[in-house]
Formats: sequence, structure tokens, C-alpha cells
Amino acid sequence: MRGVYILVLAVLIGLAPVTFGQSPPQPPHPGRLLASNCFQCHGTNGRSLGSIPELAGEDADDIFEALLEFRAQPANANVMHVQARGYTDAQLLLIADFFSKQPD
Amino acid sequence: MNRRRFTQYIGAGALGLALPRIGWGDDGGAPVVPGNTGANGRVVVVGGGMAGATAAKYLRLWGGTGVQVTLIERDPQYYTCIMSNLVLNGSRSLSNQTFTLTRLAQRYGVNVVRGEASSIDPISQKVRTLDGREFPYDKVIVAPGVDFATIPGLESPEAQAAVPHAWKAGPQTIALRDQIQAMPAGGVFVLTIPLPPFRATAGPYDRACVVADFLRVNKPGSKVIVLDANADFLAEKTTFTRAFTVDYPDIIEHHKGVTLNSIDASTRTLNTSIGSITANVINAIPPQRAGRIIQETGLNNANGARYAGVDVVTYQSTAAANIHVLGDSASTTQPKGGHVGNAQAKVCADAITRMLRGDLPDPDPVTNSTVFSPVSADRASWLSVVFKYDGVSRTMTPVGGAATEAGNATRENFDTMRGWFRNLMGDTFA
Repeated sequence: MRGVYILVLAVLIGLAPVTFGQSPPQPPHPGRLLASNCFQCHGTNGRSLGSIPELAGEDADDIFEALLEFRAQPANANVMHVQARGYTDAQLLLIADFFSKQPD
Repeated sequence: MNRRRFTQYIGAGALGLALPRIGWGDDGGAPVVPGNTGANGRVVVVGGGMAGATAAKYLRLWGGTGVQVTLIERDPQYYTCIMSNLVLNGSRSLSNQTFTLTRLAQRYGVNVVRGEASSIDPISQKVRTLDGREFPYDKVIVAPGVDFATIPGLESPEAQAAVPHAWKAGPQTIALRDQIQAMPAGGVFVLTIPLPPFRATAGPYDRACVVADFLRVNKPGSKVIVLDANADFLAEKTTFTRAFTVDYPDIIEHHKGVTLNSIDASTRTLNTSIGSITANVINAIPPQRAGRIIQETGLNNANGARYAGVDVVTYQSTAAANIHVLGDSASTTQPKGGHVGNAQAKVCADAITRMLRGDLPDPDPVTNSTVFSPVSADRASWLSVVFKYDGVSRTMTPVGGAATEAGNATRENFDTMRGWFRNLMGDTFA
């Protein structure tokens, strides 16, 4: 399964071209807008100001696996279950990849 | 750093036990506005509440220096309604609710203008303020929040002062708190709930609970009479049914399907479809509609001319081009509240940024709403949902069909609520 996810992610991110010198602005990360739904609780770009866990700079696989675990929990167990089940696997991979690339 | 890795939380059910993170300090970790991203244009934002402030921040953060953002706000500070029911029981102060736009100016280069936007000219594409200034725009975002209907009998300023609704946080929240604190033992507090759509659908019910909890301890023998225009709870039915009937069975009376005819502020008497009721404190939440500038610009084309219809891919008005409406003023399938207003603002900021680059907006936006509802001074429930865009109905549809409420109102949820509040306000105003 992991191999499939990584392939999907590579396609979604489009194997972003490496650019040198004077170049057009980098396109935004394709998971940015989806991931911004997490900022209200986890802080802008996943940098938490309070007791809710930080996501910025965490390992993408760890975030993705955690989201799948939350999704498997009972319906009213916690907010994260409700949030995790709102996205496809491909979307969760993009979200996880976005946070893993933010400075912590 | 006193940070716990998020993976420690998996399965622990212990959100909220983490040690607090040290703050960003002197902007040390605040994100930086990028240079020119290829998006160029002038965006004027009317209203610096949850939706407007978020939109201004993310237009700069995602749009870069080519997107010039002017944010017009009437008031010098913003009082958030979120958690403001805990001001009523004395556990929070108004200063805990207060935020300003200073950091949006300093960190992100938003041009914050103090003034009241009085009109929008969609032909010449200018916003005018009451004092005669003009602000030309390529796109304008209107996020004025809600206006309140006048309940019959409360036409005078004196009557309105005697019966504060406190459904816009600020001085009215303090006025209502002081009335509750001055109630005698064995007193009567009446809360009236209007028909939707209104801001914070669960809010009236958690207010009833928080006030009942306060009165039980401090004013023994008191009653909370809830006169609800609706046939049933509008949100978190399991949570509030349990709270009303198990936690506060001798305190809260919930009367459903009640029409409020008028209020006599001098005698504190309500004239209703179930008779005349006299109270020590009346908290009448008025029916609501979009802010005045929405009506005056002719954007109020939904919900019986009360709210503004929008295309939820961009939040552009369905009545006028290049005018976007966000937050409580917009008519959508999403609830009205600060958390979802923040999410809508990001979709709008992303769409405008793309359009100013000559691109198309994201065709599949996702938003979410999460609220925490205190049901006492130390326990809370939550209500959460993810919305996906449905291209057939052109609406945001809730994944799973409806929002999910917490299994139980707990102290743990109350602690998580504090963490949520801090990051939500930081994501919006800092």
C-alpha cells in the first residue's frame, strides 16, 4: 500500500521542477489549501501556540499513519476522527507532505 | 522546547495534556510574506472580524507582495464571541476576548484603515468610507458579520441597554454578566432563541447551560427559562438534551416552538405565545441578517433577502462581479461562526490569489467547522464537520451527511477548547 501512496503523492506533487537563478515564482504546495483547514487548531502552517500538537516539520509518514488511525476510531471519539474521515487518502497524503515541509 | 510530538497523542485520547509551547517571540517563527508570486492587484477587505482578518492575512501570505491588501475596520479592537459565554459566569474577562489588527499590519504588510465603509460602487470598483475616502479595488471582500433585528418593545436605547443580547461580544457581554451577578437567589433568567439562520447555532444552548451552572452555585433556587422559536435543538441535540435534563433538571425549562411577541423592558416582562413571563434578567437573542453594507449594496439575495448568496468556490457574490462575501453575512450550507469563517476566508484568499495570477480557482474546495461548547465552568462538548464542494448542487456538503457531536461533555474537551481558541485566534489575527 505504501508504494501506491508514494506513487500517488509523486504524481500529485508533479515532481516539482528544480529551478536555478532567476526563475518564475515557485508554485504553491498542492496540499496548502487543504492543510490550511488544520491551522485553526494546530496553528498557522502547523506551528502550534498552545496545547494542541505541533504538525510543522513532523515526518509525513507519521502524520499520514496517525490520520489513518484517527479515521478508524469510533465516530464521536474525538474531533480528529471527524476531520480525518473528511478527506481521501490522496488528500491526507498531500496534507501530511505539506506539514512535513514546514519549518518547526 | 516543551513540545510533545503529535504521535504521542494517537489513541491516547489525551489532547490537552501537553505542556504549552513557548510562543513565537519577536516574530521569530511567524511566516514571511513572499515576493511577487505572479499575482498582482488591489484587494479591499471590509470588516476585520474572523473572516475578514483571515482573508487579509492569507492574501498577503499566499499572494505575496504583488497583492496590495487594504483592510477597513470601524472599531479599534475586536471582541470575539468565541468562549464569551464564559465571561458571563465570571471565569473569563473581556480582555481575554479582545484582539487587534496590529500584527496583520506589522507582520504581513496589510494596510489597516480605521473607518466605516459606507458604500461599494461595483461599476467604478471603489469602496467609500463615511468620512469620504475612496479605495479602488480589483476585488473586494465584504465580511461585516451580522446585524440584529429590533425586538418589539426594545426600540429605545434605554430598553436595549436593559435587555442586552450579548450576541456580539463587547460591552453587552459585560452588561449581561453584571445583570446575572446581581440576580437574587430564586431568580428567573429568560433566554430567547430566534429562528435560523443566526450566528453560532449551538451558542444559545451552551449559554443556557453555563448560566444554569453559575446560578446553581451562586443563586440557589433560580430558574433558566429557554424560550426557543424552534421545534427542537438546532445543534448538539444529544449533548444538550443530557445537559438540560440530567445536569440541570431543576433549573432549565426548555419551551420549544415559542413565538416572542414583545418585551416590556421596564417591567422585564415577555409577551409570548405561551403567555406572559416576568423575569429578573432577560437575554433575548434577536433574529439576524447580514451586515448593513450587504443590504445597501444589494447583495442580500438569499434567505428572504437577509443574507448574501455566494459561489462557494470563490465566495464571489451571486449578485455582483468582483465582490466576495465571507463569514456570517454569506448564505451557504455551512454554519455561521468564526472557525468556519476562517476556513472560508482561506478558500477565498486562495481563489483570488489564483485569479490575480490569471489562473482558475481550485475547483474542489474543502472547509471545516469545529466548535467547542462549554456546558459548565469546566466541561465542554464539541461539534465538528468537514464540507466538500459538490459540483452538481454547487454547495458545500457535509461529509457523512451531518456534523458529529462529542460523545460526552468532559474536562478534557474543555482543555482542548483553550488550545483551539489560542491557535484559532493566532491563525486569524497573528
